[in-house]
Amino acid sequence: MKEFKILGFLDKLKPLFEKLGADYFIMRRILQIKLVMDGRRVPTVFAGKNNDKNADSDNKFFKSLWIYVLMGLILIPFIIMKNNYIYQMSIVFVIVMFFIMTSLISDFSSVLLDIKDKVIIGIRPVDPKTLRLAKTIHISIYMFFITGALTGPALLVSLFTQGIVFFLIFLLSLILLNMFIIVLTALAYFLVLRFFDGEKLKDIINYIQIVLSITLMLGYQLLGRLFSIANLDIQFTPKWWQYFMVPVWFSAPFQMIKKSEVNSRYVIFTIMAVVIPIISILVYTKLMPAFERNLQKLSNNYEKNKKTKGKSVQLLSKILCRNREERIFFRFAFDMMKNEREFKLKVYPTLAYSIFFPFIFVLQLLTNTNISEISQGKSYLYIYLCGMMLPTVIITLRYSEGYKGAWIYKALPINNIEPVFKGTIKAFIIKLFFPIILFQSIIFTIIFGVRIVPDLLMVFLNMMIFNILCFLALEKYLPFSEAFQSSQQGNGGITLILFMLLGVLAGIHFILTRVSYGVYIYLVLSFIVNLVLWKLSFNVSPYKINRNFH
Amino acid sequence: MENDVTVELKNLYMNYGSKEVLKGINLEVHKGEIVGYIGTNGAGKSTTIKIILGILEGYTGQVKVVGQDISKNRTEYKRKIGYVPEAAEIYDNLTAAEYLTFIGELYGISYETSGRKAKRLMEILGVGDSYNSRINSFSKGMKQKVLIISSLLHNPDILMLDEPLSGLDANSVMVVKEILTQLSNQGKTIFYSSHIMDVVEKISNRIVLLNDGQIVADGSFDELKTKSKEGSLEQIFNQITGFNKYESIAEEFVSIIEEV
Repeated sequence: MKEFKILGFLDKLKPLFEKLGADYFIMRRILQIKLVMDGRRVPTVFAGKNNDKNADSDNKFFKSLWIYVLMGLILIPFIIMKNNYIYQMSIVFVIVMFFIMTSLISDFSSVLLDIKDKVIIGIRPVDPKTLRLAKTIHISIYMFFITGALTGPALLVSLFTQGIVFFLIFLLSLILLNMFIIVLTALAYFLVLRFFDGEKLKDIINYIQIVLSITLMLGYQLLGRLFSIANLDIQFTPKWWQYFMVPVWFSAPFQMIKKSEVNSRYVIFTIMAVVIPIISILVYTKLMPAFERNLQKLSNNYEKNKKTKGKSVQLLSKILCRNREERIFFRFAFDMMKNEREFKLKVYPTLAYSIFFPFIFVLQLLTNTNISEISQGKSYLYIYLCGMMLPTVIITLRYSEGYKGAWIYKALPINNIEPVFKGTIKAFIIKLFFPIILFQSIIFTIIFGVRIVPDLLMVFLNMMIFNILCFLALEKYLPFSEAFQSSQQGNGGITLILFMLLGVLAGIHFILTRVSYGVYIYLVLSFIVNLVLWKLSFNVSPYKINRNFH
Repeated sequence: MENDVTVELKNLYMNYGSKEVLKGINLEVHKGEIVGYIGTNGAGKSTTIKIILGILEGYTGQVKVVGQDISKNRTEYKRKIGYVPEAAEIYDNLTAAEYLTFIGELYGISYETSGRKAKRLMEILGVGDSYNSRINSFSKGMKQKVLIISSLLHNPDILMLDEPLSGLDANSVMVVKEILTQLSNQGKTIFYSSHIMDVVEKISNRIVLLNDGQIVADGSFDELKTKSKEGSLEQIFNQITGFNKYESIAEEFVSIIEEV
């Protein structure tokens, strides 16, 4: 069995663990097994790319750490500044809290919420104390690495720019903050499970995973821009609600030491920063058994029948689909996209990206011109950038957690594959694409005025053409018939060509804006092209479909 | 023979929220008995087993395993029990070798001994080739074999089996049944919970029928047969659980199918 360096380090602390009442040998063995299993798991920060080539070589978690190092660079300007420590350190702690908490929830929920442990280890002669300690250390190991990666560069910089005292307080604050975050997360779960069932909690965790992925993606975009707001000359005015702001507590000691501003308020903040995490840990250990009892809810899946809102989907399918089979697959795809957590985790960040991307470009113009000048221009054409997500999402439509259920395509008497694809693509357009383009159009109309409405119509028709082009260009798989694990190979080149086609469509649009009535003529033409494409494109020969039935 | 009681339940009550699942279970199980523990879905079978295993808390009443109250010493008595869970709960990211040696060590058996034992048991059950493969690549039957082995590595006195034959092929079923008979001849107590009545009827020397949280029948198959005047355990089961409309249900089901 694989040996881990970290376990060698823990061996040195053996007397401490034994003093806490654990059977060290058993605890070490549980940890070892957990670390082996973690090595075979993919963290959320890597969610987009599944390379299963060397599945067993190293813990993928450690490979994901550099992303946190990169994100941690944001902290450095706030560490270097010497203006107002309350503000700058609050920002530091907000960022640290955000990343640690979201990554704890998205990647280590499985540790906090493990019910398998109960059946596999709980029935063996293992002291519950040993198991709990093993779990706590397991999470702590990862918290240590994530925090280390995220704050390591900042800590190092602080040692040289702010001195040793600052460095030590910073280090201590991070340890206390981590303790508090573990407890806070566990308590949040505890509350959710107290009032809702396990399915609800899984949904909440899913959405937090999505938020983390989105933030990481957008983080790269915003990283550079954040450096420009590094001038914080605001006066700190005490308010009562600051007592509830965790990051403010932790930033108080820095202000006291570096600015020699000692007052009762800062002293109270500092005391809170030390005492509350410690109390929360004590409360947590008391609540642990109750928490574990609530966890049993996760295994009971008797969800009460929800009132299904099938009516509106039914209606949509009747309006949009010509024949019965198409309607069936429209509803099927609609429901799959709505319910499948793994699908949402893969697709929603991409969608968020496509929402923000056009705005980022428009905002960038603001550095050179002002808003009224922009609103006269043609930069609304940046809206085409949101089409960049279409290939990725259409590729993702072939994946599913329940890909094994795809035997139904084979077993059912489907004599024509056309309605399967047509229904699915229509469902995708209605459920995911249309809301985004509509939202973007509304915002752009606010910025650029009603004059661009015909252009937006043209954008919409062009995007619909692009949708079909994507479908035509990409390899055809039956919807929801492939495992997420299989790596998405071979699509890079096609995607690039598709991006160029999108550019061509945007280019045509740009040229036509210079021709009088060009847009209107194009609208008619484009409408006809759409009709023809929709008619012809989905008649896929069954031999062209990749089927890997499992 | 007072001292051969291995599991003893006294006035066992359990509720999930407002729902009462166990309504006063009293049961004494002896050495060498194979108890067929049967009941409808939701009758409380798994709940009883989980309480005895110490993974479900909040019950009232007394549970004694080999004479010790399990609420007094929650850990040590577990050495005497082996458990095959119904929903194949297993760390399937691990290989069979990793999993089985881990379980062995949790019982205090050395890595080498549990490894040697596990490998030989796997070989005997015809899955020795997969000893070093990940469990998530296993078929249902192979997984079940790993679970059965993991429940027996530490030579327990009491075996709790929840649908232990599920997924096994006919030949493996014969082997496992024979293993159980031989183990019970050695004086081990076996709790056999299943929905497949034919197997329960043949394998157990005592049958306990649970209905709606209470024991409604307890005795050997022959005793139950004379009492209820029915020919098979399945019929006895239907009669005692008050289920006699299977024909009308099937009729209705078929008629709905025919509606198109």
